Amino acid sequence: MSSEDDSSQSHSKSKKPKYSRFTQQELPSCKPILTPGLVIGILLCFAIVFIPIGLITFTATENVVELVDRYDEDCIPLKSPHNSENERAGFIRDAGTNKTCVRTLIIPKKMKPPIYVYYQLDNFYQNHRRYVKSRSDHQLRYASHVSETKTCEPEATTNDNQPIVPCGLIAWSLFNDTYRFSRNDTSLEINKKDIAWHSERTKKFSSQVYPKNFQSGSLIGGGKLDEKIPLSEQEDLIVWMRTAALPTFRKLYGRIETDLEANDQITVVIQNNYNTYSFSGKKKLVISTASWIGGKNDFLGKMYMAVGGTSLLLAIIFTVLYLLKPRPLGGPTYLSWNRNRAAVRES
Amino acid sequence: MAGWRGSRGGGERAVEHISSSRSIRLGKVQPQAPGHRTVFCNDREANALARFKGNSVSTTKYDVITFLPKGLFEQFRRVANLYFLMISILSCTPVSPVSPVTNVLPLALVLLVSLIKEAWEDWKRFQNDMAINNSTVEVLQDQKWVFTPWKKLQVGDIVKVNQDGFFPADLLFLASTNPDGVCYIETANLDGETNLKIRKALEKTWDYLTPEKVSEFKGELQCEQPNNSLYTFTGNLIISKQTLPLSPNQLLLRGCSLRNTDYIVGAVIFTGHETKVMMNSMKIPSKRSTLEKKLDKLILTLFTVLFCMCLLGAIGSGIFINRKYYYLRFDKSEKQFDPDNRVVVGILTFFTLITLYSPIIPISLYVSVEMIKFIQSTQFINNDLRMYHAESNTPALARTSNLNEELGQVEYIFSDKTGTLTRNLMEFFKCSIGGEIYGTGVSEIEMGTAQRSGVKVEAQKQSNVAREKGFNFDDARLMRGAWRNEPNSDSCKEFFRCLAICHTVLPEGEETPEKIRYQAASPDEAALVTAAKSFGFFFYKRSPTTISVRESHVEKMGKVQDVQYEILNVLEFNSTRKRQSVVCRYPDGRLVLYCKGADTVIYERLADQGNELKSVTREHLEQFGASGLRTLCLAYRNLSPDLYESWNDKYIQAKSALNDREKKLDEVAELIEKDLILIGATAIEDKLQEGVPACIETLARAGIKIWVLTGDKMETAINIAYACKLINNNMKQFIISCETDAIREVEDKGDPVELARFMKETVKNELKKCQEEAQQYLHSVSRPKLALVIDGKCLMYALDPSLRVTLLNVSLNCSAVVCCRVSPLQKAQVTSLVRKGANRITLSIGDGANDVSMIQAAHVGVGISGQEGMQAVMASDFAIAQFRFLTELLLVHGRWSYLRICKVVTYFFYKNLTFTLTQFWFTFQTGYSGQRFYDDWFQSLYNVIFTALPVIIIGLFDKDVNASLSKKYPELYKEGIRNVFFKWRVVATWAFFAIYQSLVLYHLVVASSSRAVNSAGKMFGVWDVSTMAFTCVVITVNLRLLMMCNNITRWHHISVGGSILAWFIFVFIYSGFVLPKAQENIYFVIYVLMSTFYFYFTLLLVPVAALFGDFVYLGVQRWFFPYDYQIVQEIHRHEADNSRIGLLEIGNNDLTPDEARSYAIMQLPGQKSKHTGFAFDSPGYESFFASQAGVYVPQKAWDVARRASMKPSWSKTPRKN
Repeated sequence: MSSEDDSSQSHSKSKKPKYSRFTQQELPSCKPILTPGLVIGILLCFAIVFIPIGLITFTATENVVELVDRYDEDCIPLKSPHNSENERAGFIRDAGTNKTCVRTLIIPKKMKPPIYVYYQLDNFYQNHRRYVKSRSDHQLRYASHVSETKTCEPEATTNDNQPIVPCGLIAWSLFNDTYRFSRNDTSLEINKKDIAWHSERTKKFSSQVYPKNFQSGSLIGGGKLDEKIPLSEQEDLIVWMRTAALPTFRKLYGRIETDLEANDQITVVIQNNYNTYSFSGKKKLVISTASWIGGKNDFLGKMYMAVGGTSLLLAIIFTVLYLLKPRPLGGPTYLSWNRNRAAVRES
Repeated sequence: MAGWRGSRGGGERAVEHISSSRSIRLGKVQPQAPGHRTVFCNDREANALARFKGNSVSTTKYDVITFLPKGLFEQFRRVANLYFLMISILSCTPVSPVSPVTNVLPLALVLLVSLIKEAWEDWKRFQNDMAINNSTVEVLQDQKWVFTPWKKLQVGDIVKVNQDGFFPADLLFLASTNPDGVCYIETANLDGETNLKIRKALEKTWDYLTPEKVSEFKGELQCEQPNNSLYTFTGNLIISKQTLPLSPNQLLLRGCSLRNTDYIVGAVIFTGHETKVMMNSMKIPSKRSTLEKKLDKLILTLFTVLFCMCLLGAIGSGIFINRKYYYLRFDKSEKQFDPDNRVVVGILTFFTLITLYSPIIPISLYVSVEMIKFIQSTQFINNDLRMYHAESNTPALARTSNLNEELGQVEYIFSDKTGTLTRNLMEFFKCSIGGEIYGTGVSEIEMGTAQRSGVKVEAQKQSNVAREKGFNFDDARLMRGAWRNEPNSDSCKEFFRCLAICHTVLPEGEETPEKIRYQAASPDEAALVTAAKSFGFFFYKRSPTTISVRESHVEKMGKVQDVQYEILNVLEFNSTRKRQSVVCRYPDGRLVLYCKGADTVIYERLADQGNELKSVTREHLEQFGASGLRTLCLAYRNLSPDLYESWNDKYIQAKSALNDREKKLDEVAELIEKDLILIGATAIEDKLQEGVPACIETLARAGIKIWVLTGDKMETAINIAYACKLINNNMKQFIISCETDAIREVEDKGDPVELARFMKETVKNELKKCQEEAQQYLHSVSRPKLALVIDGKCLMYALDPSLRVTLLNVSLNCSAVVCCRVSPLQKAQVTSLVRKGANRITLSIGDGANDVSMIQAAHVGVGISGQEGMQAVMASDFAIAQFRFLTELLLVHGRWSYLRICKVVTYFFYKNLTFTLTQFWFTFQTGYSGQRFYDDWFQSLYNVIFTALPVIIIGLFDKDVNASLSKKYPELYKEGIRNVFFKWRVVATWAFFAIYQSLVLYHLVVASSSRAVNSAGKMFGVWDVSTMAFTCVVITVNLRLLMMCNNITRWHHISVGGSILAWFIFVFIYSGFVLPKAQENIYFVIYVLMSTFYFYFTLLLVPVAALFGDFVYLGVQRWFFPYDYQIVQEIHRHEADNSRIGLLEIGNNDLTPDEARSYAIMQLPGQKSKHTGFAFDSPGYESFFASQAGVYVPQKAWDVARRASMKPSWSKTPRKN
């Protein structure tokens, strides 16, 4: 190259382009070719990696014991086909009615603590645009910003223009069914501490901000809050306000920290306060243990096994095909112009 | 920018908008008649009232004030930008689910990039203008020459221009240092011709040369208003009450430069933007590639898809909305959520969704593609060493960057012959004098013919004596005075004299045979004069009225004498006359007319004697023609003084005629150009360019059909076609010619109407016959290739609308077509016939002015550069030095560009569709509310950061097979012609996989995250899920890009890895801080995600699952339905990329074995090209004379002004002055 530089200097007027690997498009590169062998190999690799991972995650979640109990239908005296949704919603909304409901659950397998209690709502659009944006993060975080409620419409201020804390539809529709668990007449303690993500409690919800004017309007959306407890400790609210991605979602209610044996009979006293009846939503109570990977979520494991299994299957099919009808790599006869010529010759 | 200059340049421009024609001169009360301009030379005050424009020019598009509005306006003329502008506006309304940043940011970035590019280009233009405006010229002030910047120059000023200086404005030529008041100018900046042209001042003004003298000059000049006709000028100069007519001969145009003259003095007539060169500036109509047009259709389809998606969502939202969702508080407070008015809800949601789905339109696509193509053309094409021609020191030049991929799809090449297939290096090769053939060479064509008939011809030994350029002749009988001993030595003498006298060549340099250089309009002429010199008739000096020849051996062997011939008249060449004559007076008073021209026209004018000589010479001419040589007949006529005088009167009359001067001159010439005595004929060889046959063969294998369009005779054309392997004996030839007996018969009757009818009928029948035969051949087993040869006259009828379709049908079935005797217009017509009629992609290649129309008519115009003329290059899109570089340009650069742009476009389409569809699936689960799935910043940076770079890398570096294999397997090019990589089927495949992937991405992520995600039983919210999904999308689309790469360089790793890394870095930072005033949805999300095992398992699973389908598809496709390039890759999979070595050698000025061989072949003496057309058929010839004669030549469309203001050539001026 140096000699070339010299020569280009010697004819300074030369318009000869300078050599560089870039301009001559000769950058060193590897040229992967997806040969049948490589395809089969990669598919086998997938199989080898994915099937074990699938099995591991699948067994991990298999050990999780999960109990789901839908109670919204049974916990209301007005049965579905006979009573309209409005009647049922009216019943729930009526503060005077007794909404206590007792459910009995049989533990199918031994459950080790921590045992998580969730509630699950169906057909509840926490991800609706109007709903998602109806909150004020500043208000939740800074005591000085409590009057920042612009984004909270239509649940921003009280009728006399006092800011609602926490404002917005999300907080307003706070889930307020309560569960009390007992086994053999001894009540089971539910620990409601540390059910929200740590970052939320410490960063997004201030310990200086206290609920104010909450649920004070004519329309009551859901649960009420104790005005003496700062937001950062209102974990139910924090959990609720981490809006779910799908209209069917679970939220953590609390933890039971004692062993539950198989066939234990658990009595749950539910205060069936929350109105899902007007929009035909379902309410479910979920008791579940968790593995290192999380709750009873066999979806990941199954998908891993599915992908791994498909890879294996395809690898086998391709191998068979390859053995039956091999294609020599780079046979010039496969070139289209040669094929045409061959076709002409044959005819 | 023009604004600055206006204010700086002083007041002279302030009122320039007032038309000078209407202003009244108060002093002399002389209204300027409309259509005339009156200039008072050397009188600034008098001229000031006319308010002529200043001499500063501005070629910038913008100035400081107009830049933003005008630049933005230009940008928003693009549909995609306009669309995003509307979306951005929409996203500022409450309808929008996203914050404005989502759409404004990408748009702003795209606009910023485009505007910076515009500004940079304009800045360069501005600097260029400033350099020109500030260059200085000597202006007469107070009897002294004073250096003044060009921009201060005013109409009426007297200026002095020195040798090699440029004229600062259009000047009236007053005086020069040369005797006879002539000067020589070069018009290279104007029309690219490097020949010198003569201008002559009026005799009355010759003396105004010194400052003292000039300051006395007080002329009044009346002339036409500024116009853009370069070759016309009318006006009168009124000095000392005499009115003198002015012609273009006295006009020196801005942009030309002075040569061979110490200095000249001139008066400024037109300044600045009113100069002819500036008025000529026009934009080259920009061509858009077919792929880009198809891209528009794709974008339109995307708009339709977008519309459907939004409509679907809008209907869904109208149905969904219901008061029963009490927690959403649907009520009348917001129109979009008013359950009582579902139609309004639907309409508003429609707009919401449009803003939400806007990324489906790839906004950065155009900018990215533009950038890629720009780099491709400036870095790759312009710098390709394989396309660098060392001899002429010319690299390839991409003059436009928007047609790169078009080069990969060319199906038809229309090629000029002379100068394109051949070198346009004319060499005097043979001659026939007095019935005797001289010259011993064997032409290329003859060798080719011999080889065809099976004879092995020894590449001739031929003396390796360094011969002069233009002279490849050896015959001992004529050289070194030996001709004196020939029986026909008188004919020889006349022959040589004719060569030395009858021409329009200008000598340059020292007056010795070794040092002199001839400036000729066509290389044929130079070759003839050089030949005369070699024979001992050395033409060394020309004055306007004389030609000086140093004659050797005339009286006596070895005696040399200088003879001055007085040139009385020059009857110039034009394409109707096809001949050229001079009338000269010998020192002894003898009057002779020498004439040279095409055989047909000369033979018509011969005297009735010496029939034997005529027929022998005719035989020779045919022989020359068959050997592919360009022939000219030479003849002379002795004139008696009486005859001459009476004729000369008529001639002068015709010359001063105001109307139809051209026609009248032709008529007068006819009167004297008769009863000629034939001397002999010359044969000039035009060599085939190096590598042309191989190149044509390669291109034919690539499925490209080559049409040769030439002005030559049919035999010549066919011969050339054989020589360059366009036609071979295995081909079935169809010949449609008007040279048939039947046609001649009708011709002789002389009835033009009847002739036209008959011709048309004949052509029609011929075409029909050809068509039928072609069908037969096509259906036959052997399927021979077909070739069509048609001549210009027949073509004229065949291009008639009624026959056009048949012509097209026949010619499209032919793999080679030769059109001979065609005019430039017909060249363009044929090109558009295929372009428009058959809708195929066409490329025209040529080197001369006669190819300009053809070059502009084709999809891609290629000019041959490094030769004399620049016209073709100025009109072209790409300029290469040699025809053979077409293989490189098409098979390598074109094919790669096509491949790359296809990949870039389809990938853009895919990545945006995938991204938007995940969003779309989410819409179904949010009650059609138009809730965004991704954070605003994610969405806005997706296109401009997280997926931007890799696609550019693929657009620059992807190559399926290396350059040498591209040329080894030219058939690969067919994939481009068939548009294999950008068909609707390809797009549909991508769309299918985009849908598949988006479904996998969305549903896998969402479904797997619906349960507790860590051992503490905690759950994800919507933002956790969406960040998870976004991470998967970014990784998936980036990996998908790697899967489509044919080769993976370091840059691929860096860009793909970098993009993914950029995402993580961004999200770490973005979710790590609390931004004031922002909705902090994303706060801490990524850390929460990363604290779970779930995150890592999903991250491994989802991209693999999403790409699984693509992977299997690619594997199966390659295995069972491989593309040709894939087979080639496999054939050469073990070979190292060794093309680099070859290039390095070239870098050291060594040649690869291949090149060495081709170079050696090129050096073989016997190898020349052939040609039988008459020798003046050469580009630029006609316009050369036309410009000399002041004849209007059709407007040339190249961008004269831009060239004229090109910096390199202009910047010399200030230094020299």
